[in-house]
Amino acid sequence: MTDISSKKSSILLVALFALTVDAAQAQIFLKNIHRHVTLASTVADNGDLNPYAVIVAPVSAGRIQKGDVLVDNFNKISNLQGTGTTILDYNPATKRTTLVAELPQHLAQCPGGVGLSTAMAMLKSGWIIVGSTPSADGTTRTKGAGGLLVLDANGHLVATWANAKINDPWGNMATVDNGSTAVLFVSMAGFDVPGPDVRDPKTGNPVIIRKATVLRIDLSIPAGRPPEITSETVIADGFGQRADRDAFLIGPTGLAIGPNNTLYVSDALANQIVMIPDAMTRPGSAGTGRTVASGGLLHRPLALTMAPNGHLLSINATNGEVVEVDPASGTQLGAQWIDADQAQSPPGNGDLFGIAITPDDKGFYYVEDDVNTLMKAIP
Amino acid sequence: MAGLRPLLSKFGLSLSIQETSEVLGNVTGGANKGFEYDGLTQAVLQMDTGRAFGLHGGTFDISGLQIHGRNLSAENLDTLQTASGIEADRSTRLWELWYQQKFLKDERLDVKIGQQSLDQEFMVSQNALLFVNTMFGWPMLPSADLPGGGPAYPLSALGVRFRWRPTDSLTVLAGVFNGTPVSDSNGDPQMINASGLSFPLHGGALAIGELQYTYPAIGSMVYSSQSQPLSGVYKLGFWYDTEDFADQEVDNTGLSLANPESTGIPRNHHGDYAIYAVVDQMVWSDPNDEDADRTVNFFARAMGAPEEDRNLIDISTNAGFTFHEPIPHRGDDTLGIGMGYAKVSDSAADSDKDTAFFTGSYFPVRGSEEFIELTYQYQLTPWCELQPDFQYVFDPGAGILNPNSGHRVKNEVVLGVRMNVQF
Repeated sequence: MTDISSKKSSILLVALFALTVDAAQAQIFLKNIHRHVTLASTVADNGDLNPYAVIVAPVSAGRIQKGDVLVDNFNKISNLQGTGTTILDYNPATKRTTLVAELPQHLAQCPGGVGLSTAMAMLKSGWIIVGSTPSADGTTRTKGAGGLLVLDANGHLVATWANAKINDPWGNMATVDNGSTAVLFVSMAGFDVPGPDVRDPKTGNPVIIRKATVLRIDLSIPAGRPPEITSETVIADGFGQRADRDAFLIGPTGLAIGPNNTLYVSDALANQIVMIPDAMTRPGSAGTGRTVASGGLLHRPLALTMAPNGHLLSINATNGEVVEVDPASGTQLGAQWIDADQAQSPPGNGDLFGIAITPDDKGFYYVEDDVNTLMKAIP
Repeated sequence: MAGLRPLLSKFGLSLSIQETSEVLGNVTGGANKGFEYDGLTQAVLQMDTGRAFGLHGGTFDISGLQIHGRNLSAENLDTLQTASGIEADRSTRLWELWYQQKFLKDERLDVKIGQQSLDQEFMVSQNALLFVNTMFGWPMLPSADLPGGGPAYPLSALGVRFRWRPTDSLTVLAGVFNGTPVSDSNGDPQMINASGLSFPLHGGALAIGELQYTYPAIGSMVYSSQSQPLSGVYKLGFWYDTEDFADQEVDNTGLSLANPESTGIPRNHHGDYAIYAVVDQMVWSDPNDEDADRTVNFFARAMGAPEEDRNLIDISTNAGFTFHEPIPHRGDDTLGIGMGYAKVSDSAADSDKDTAFFTGSYFPVRGSEEFIELTYQYQLTPWCELQPDFQYVFDPGAGILNPNSGHRVKNEVVLGVRMNVQF
């Protein structure tokens, strides 16, 4: 090979490499996010605070418009965790926030009462399903098993689901909604979790109980009537869960459904994201699944969602970052600071929870529970 | 309270009440020895105008103080850098009364107008706020040099403040306020404005500006090949006050104020200014801590006022370290060690020399005062903190005369405990 052809080959290789790098960089969803806009306070009229769940309404129904952002609160005004009872609706067009539901603190059908968690979904039929992870004193010492509450689009409670497979529905739900039928995936993080003062003598941390599950709930939705459970299947179990004085619970939290019926689960205590294959159809548990990504940029992953480019966005609990992960390769592509409040150490520690992609697929909604606000991250 | 807060919340109002009580005393040194109790009840009522009546980005704030107990620093210590940030004259008073509105795309500008206490936003070191000594809050230099000690706890002043974020990492904080928080600069400012309701708007103006750099900024990216950043905040600022300032040494005829032939009326100077810098930097984060909040942070703050003739203090600094979760699994506890330094200006020192000369008797020349503080904030319950505290003061009052002994006030060991209760 002559010197000239060798140089040409080198230039081509460098150019190809640069193009490949550019393409990879361009595929990082978070790199296109530059603005972080405060939309509204999430404090309810009754003083409820500590926003957890964030979802986007898929349809217009009752007092809710398609594209509205629904947020629930985990604490009541006394700031005790596991006592919040309100769901708010933020309308992006009017920029107004209204109350969708204020549930009673105590429900006979819901063991322990009401403390609304990150587990919330709205179906195409207009029904809202929200998890309750209740407590009397703000810690797991007095927690109940809670349940799943079914509301109509005007915020009226129409059904409560509580049984042996439901114990503190905790993380954000993944949903496959076909209209007359739907499938919910819910993480259950409360089985036998004691109070935060029950410590593991080896670590000094609250004792870890490896009984958390992911429950698949198949629903039928008769026309004009509330959804009914047709089957419940534990498709993953054995995740670690423990009490935490600041966060109430630490356990499997985020759920996101990807291609090929793969369910992704953020295993917060193990600091990893795992996958559960055949999540829609599997008849039994896949245990704790197979690791997709672990450590690195992940810092106790919480809520998960699937970005429009097919990557996972995972909220960090112990800093103010959201992490982008390619689920196919497990590569952690990058993280962005979406809460840099230096009142916490590290910035944003403990502030973030729910996340939801905006309807135009360009950005995402999230909440900051230190200042009780709904945020929007956009290009 | 259980019924009041939900009622207020319906109108977009939130009420917070905190009681700070402490017992502090000096076991060595000082003009006198002994322990004193003092306390502060602080109530803040805020309205979110978005929740109250749909005006997005508006906040209305009114706060009041009930100050009780005695003042150890004045009665026993004779220090410049007073031992507790809540020490003040006993009173029930209005503190702040302001309205803040956010503007521009992404709310990059907000404007606050009304009665404001500048120690809440300017010259603030987040880490220094742990400590008990006053000078970790509103610093020594403006406390000594600005009229009435400046618009800071328990005083405030009318004015307007702008906060602009030109980029996600940079913030410009600037404001113009009445030049003094009291209507009369002679006498005890807290007695002159005893209820906080005098709202003086006469005389000069205090202009203050601060450039802040924050890292990491919201929106910044981190990649797998990088280590997580250790967060930091850096601030550069200045203030200029157009009030008249009394000379520290000479009278209006050019004679020393200590001269028996002096008119006793200090020479007047127009205006005074200072520059300052503040650093808060995380220096260590425990890689083995699951909660990631076991960290060590460094802070430092320095301020200088070049015009020595009109300033009692021309340099003041403080610095230290804070250690979050010093005991594993005590995630809400913080240990701190810090120091403070205040230098008496050459003009004020010359005045001491003049006094010694003209009286012909022993009169010590003041130089500087330093102190160290060791403190531990222990969270007893989510609503109650206990904070044992140790301070050692070198050269109290910068070497001031103890009228009881005829010698300089001796170095002091100050011990005590503070309790914060949230209602």
